[in-house]
Order: sequence, then structure tokens, then C-alpha cells
Amino acid sequence: MAIVKTEKTPAREAPLSETTIIGWMSKNLFGSVFNSILTVVTLYIIYLTVRDVWVWGVADAVWVADNRRECFKISIDGACWAGVITWMDNIFYGRYPREELWRINLGAILLFVWMVPLWLPRVKAKVLIGVTTVFLYPFLAGYLFAGGDKGIFMQVMISAAIVCLIGNTLHSIIGVLTGSSLPEFLIRLLGRQDAPEKSQHKILFGILAVSLVVVYLWQMGWHAEGVSWTKWGGLFLTLVISGIGIASALPGGIILALGRRSRLPVIRVLSTAFIELFRSVPLITVLFMATTMFPLFMPEGVVLNKLVQVIIAVCLFNACYMAETVRAGLQAIPKGQAEGAHTIGLGYWGTMGLIIMPQALKHMIPNIVGSFIGLLKDTTLVSIIGLFDILGMLRSISRDTPWLGLHKEPLIFGAILFFLICFAMSKYSRHLEVKLSTGHKK
Amino acid sequence: MTDTNTQEPQQAMEQLASAISSEVIIDLNQVNKWYADFHVLKDIDLIVHKGERIVVCGPSGSGKSTLIRCINHLEEHQAGSIVVDGITLDKNLKNIDHIRTEVGMVFQSSNLFPHLSILENLTLGPIWVRKMPKAEAEATARKYLERVKIPEQADKYPGQLSGGQQQRVAIARSLCMNPKIMLFDEPTSALDPEMIKEVLDVMIELADTGMTMIVVTHEMNFAKTIADRVIFMDEGDIVEENEPNEFFNNPQHERTRLFLSQIL
Repeated sequence: MAIVKTEKTPAREAPLSETTIIGWMSKNLFGSVFNSILTVVTLYIIYLTVRDVWVWGVADAVWVADNRRECFKISIDGACWAGVITWMDNIFYGRYPREELWRINLGAILLFVWMVPLWLPRVKAKVLIGVTTVFLYPFLAGYLFAGGDKGIFMQVMISAAIVCLIGNTLHSIIGVLTGSSLPEFLIRLLGRQDAPEKSQHKILFGILAVSLVVVYLWQMGWHAEGVSWTKWGGLFLTLVISGIGIASALPGGIILALGRRSRLPVIRVLSTAFIELFRSVPLITVLFMATTMFPLFMPEGVVLNKLVQVIIAVCLFNACYMAETVRAGLQAIPKGQAEGAHTIGLGYWGTMGLIIMPQALKHMIPNIVGSFIGLLKDTTLVSIIGLFDILGMLRSISRDTPWLGLHKEPLIFGAILFFLICFAMSKYSRHLEVKLSTGHKK
Repeated sequence: MTDTNTQEPQQAMEQLASAISSEVIIDLNQVNKWYADFHVLKDIDLIVHKGERIVVCGPSGSGKSTLIRCINHLEEHQAGSIVVDGITLDKNLKNIDHIRTEVGMVFQSSNLFPHLSILENLTLGPIWVRKMPKAEAEATARKYLERVKIPEQADKYPGQLSGGQQQRVAIARSLCMNPKIMLFDEPTSALDPEMIKEVLDVMIELADTGMTMIVVTHEMNFAKTIADRVIFMDEGDIVEENEPNEFFNNPQHERTRLFLSQIL
């Protein structure tokens, strides 16, 4: 017998267990007797833990005291945060001269100003802004932090960085307000929008050159007191090392990964050897090697300071790890993508830069950010070879006479700081993932 | 296989001389290819004239895909010569890149770029390879989207399109480069039956414009409609080559007869 449906079945509302909180709870937390017991026991354990931590860390804690003895007098069972608070400047800035701290803060603010356009809507050429952050900002910040005499090269780079920062900022303000880019705006301001493209480019180059010269002349009179790297420390030093590591790991990793997949045997073997060598050695060994072996390879008379050696070691080490992450991402892209790109005439670099790499990087965001978080935490190892990064600073609190033996509180404070930074990074990566996944969403 | 095969192209050409130009655009001479020690293409001779439409068929593993992938050097041949549009394919990367701008190709899976919108997929080649201004490239892209009958999809992403639409976009993407030759590697074999027709219709329209086409396909009705010549391959050999009427109604080689009896 044939069955023919004459009417469409209308959609009905979902049962309550699928849409309300109570429905969700009765299904997931109290679904069976055993389930209910587990829920209650777990809740009780959580309650006990939170209560004890609260009593020790907040309710009975001491916030103001001159030394550890005083802390004990006020409250024997509570945490002695007073020590951490007294040392706060050291934890953040190390032994950087107190009257020069504004330079570190200014550096941080400049980085923020530089990066903000990346998150603003309607701003064009974000990739360029990102690239300048990696290649120009470090010179400006480096001079701000280290100070001292500027060589000609440094002066040029600092001028370029300042011009770029000003350009960036104007560009993003104009972008947000009008939706056009800085060059377009300048051309329109000068009424030359009908001029041929070549003469427009000439005008823009002229403006760029003039502003470079002006800034160069201005910065010649600007001088910052030299601060020896031995005074750098605390969270500041940790962020400097990991920041440079993060900024260089991705480009370095991409180059090494492409090298490892290259069809040219020499490049392939060299990249593979380099990657495997660094990956098979623990970071702490690399750090020791860097501080003891680098000087042996250097020509006589060249003395690299320990901080530079450490930064080079961290960069190389992480570039090698990143190379493997990138390689995994590249392998996940189907071969057809490269073939599709070849058939419309794109060569190797066009295919890599426009088709393969953008897709691969998108897939790799969780892994890349994972490596970045690992890198940030790994930099604490430099405290072992005698740099006073944040961990070094936290541990020296317990050796300070008034706070002798104060271990727990500084380390817990450090853990909270690290958690905040790492959690923010991981949340941001999740956000990026969702934002960039539009290409695949139905 | 048989010695008469080498004579076939010339004979076929003479019969069809009136319909197509006498200018040779693809010339394969004694082409051989191995995958490791597996001999995929054996002494392949093939001459394609401008405006000619050739359908290649044969059982899987017969080397038909490899054959057309050699023409734009997605696969490298180890012996013999391939001359496309007057340029010999060799180790010279410049030549290969140039050939690829002249030869469009559509694959079994569309190989669209999922991170780019349809319009960006279409304008990428013209802008980056042909150095065309963006506005002009977009106008061209929209024109070709119109021609493959999906102008309204320009701002969507490939993942939002059906398989048939994706394949039509892939055809449009190739056409945007204004190629002299179009290669099709089983463009409909991964599609639902309902979508095959829409893709074939676009290809038939393309054939009507006089485009030089080499199509690997199992769609025999399509072959009958558009082909000037049908080539049958088996185990790396061109076993039989004839104009479609003769090929389907009067196959000469035993292997061809067996193949046709199985798929028709």
C-alpha cells in the first residue's frame, strides 16, 4: 500500500529538560541516586576548600606590617601579604632605578597604543600594523629601557619607530572616523585624488621622508640615562624575554618549517638538524650552553651580555618548537589547495603566503598560543642562571631580613599573576579562533 | 598497444579539419611517466589543435588524470616532450608559471580557497598574477559568475555553497585568468546526481565559445554532445582514439568494447 503524506508535520517546542536550568540540573546533576550523592559530596569538598583558603588568604590575613614577626603577632594563622605589598615594586620592576620607572611604564603604554588599532573596526592594513609592532617597536622600547648612547643605526630605527607610531595612530583615528586609510586621507587633504598613481606615491614618499628627517633631528636632542641590564628584573624582565621570544618564535618557526619542507636537500637537512638539535635538549641546558659557550664562538673582544645571550637562546629554542607546530599546520592543508593555487598561476611564495599559510595559521591558533603560554612560563628558568626575573624576585623576598622565611605568600602571588596573564592569553586565542572561523561556518 | 594507434591522430584530424583551427596548441611526444617504479604513462603521443574538445575516458588507474596533470606540470614527466602554446615544459620554473596562467584546470574536488569569499577566490589570480587593478578584476569576476549563473553568491564563502555551485565557481575562477586551454579532471564525479547537470551545462556553454578543452569524465552523453575526439586509455596507453560517433557505435579495440559495455 502506498503512503502519501498530505500535510507537513509542524515543529513543536522542546521539552523543559532541554531549555530550563532546573531541567538541566535534574538531568545532569541529580539524574540518579549515585549521581546526586556525587554532586553533594563534591559540593561539600569545594565548600571546605574555598572556606579554608578564604580564612587564610583574606579573613585572617595581614595587609600592613613592617616585618614578619609583626605579622605573626597580629595573626598567627593568616597570610602575611604585607611582605608582598612592600616588595611590590621589586616584583614588577626588579632593581630598576625608581626615578626611571616611568620609562618602563611609557614603553608599556606605547605598546598598547601601537596595538590598539588591531582591535578597532574599520581600520585598514592591520597586517602592516602587526608587522611594524614586531619589527620597529622593539627598537624604541629597547632604547627606552636601556638608554645610554645611541649609534647611528639606533637613531634611524628609533626615528622610524616614532614616525610609524604617529602614522599608526593617525591612521587608526582616521580609519575609525571615516573608514579610509591615512594615505588616502592625505591625498584628499591635498586635493590630488585625480593625479596619476605615480605622482600620488611621490607625494606620500615626500611626506614620509620629511617627517623622518624632522623626527630624526628632534630625537638627536633626546637622551635617556643608561640603565645596566643587571638592574632589570621582576615581571618586567620576564615580559621582555618572553615578549621577544614570542615575537621572534613565529617568524623563525615559519622559516624553519618551510625549510624543513623544502625540496632543496641542503636547506631541508640543515633545518631538520637545527630543529631536532634544539628540540632534543632541555631549555635549561640551552640556557647554560648559551651563557658559557656563546663567548667561545665570538671573536675576541666581543662581549655579549648575559641577557642578550639568554634572549638569543630562548628565541632559537622556541623557534624550533614553533617550527614543528607550523609544520603540523601546513600538513593539515589538503594538497588540492596548493594545486588549485598553482592552476591560477601562483608560484611558491604566492601559494604559501596567500593560500596555505593563512589557513594553516588559523588552524594552529590554539597550538601557537599554547606554545606562547609555555614560553612565558619557561622564562622563569632564567632565574636559575642568575637573572632576577619575577621568580627570582619572589624568592629573594624570603632572604630579605625583615621577611626572612616568607615563601608561601610571594609564590602564591606569583601564581596568581601568571594565571591572570596566561588565562587572558588563552581566552584571547579562543576569541580569535571564533572570529577567524567565519570562513568555514555554514 | 597496436601499431595502428600512432596513425589515428592524423586521420582523425583530417576528418575534423574543417571544424577546428590547424594551429597546434598542445603537443605531447613520446611522453613517459613513472610513480617510483610504476609506469603510469607509456609513450603517449597526443596533438591537440586550438579549439578542439577532447574527452578522455578509461578505467581508474589508467593514467588519464596523470596525463592531463602533466599538461600544466602538476605532475612531472620523466621522458618525452610536452609543448604547450609553443613553450616546452622543462625544469624552467618561469615557463611552468607562464604555462599555468594559460591553462585553466578544474578538479574533482573544487579546491576553492575556504578562507576567501567567492569574489576573492575569483580575483586572486588576476590581481596577484596578472597584476590587474582590483576594480577591473572584480568586474571580470562578476561577469564570469554571471556566466556560470551564480552572480548572487559573490560574497559568500565556499563552505556555504553546494557541491555543484562550488564546481561552477571553480570553473569561473579558471576563466577569470582568461586561459587558452581548460583542463577538467572528473569535474562531476564527486557530485550528487542532481548537481551534475548544472555543471555539465556550464561546460557545454563553454565548449560553444570555442575554448580548447580536455575533459576526463565518465559522462558519456556529455562526451557525445561536445567531443571532437574521444580518447580511451588503459594501463598507461592510449588504446583507442576516434571521433565520438565511431567511438561509441563502432569501437575497434576489445578493451574499449568491454569498458563501454560496462558503463553504458
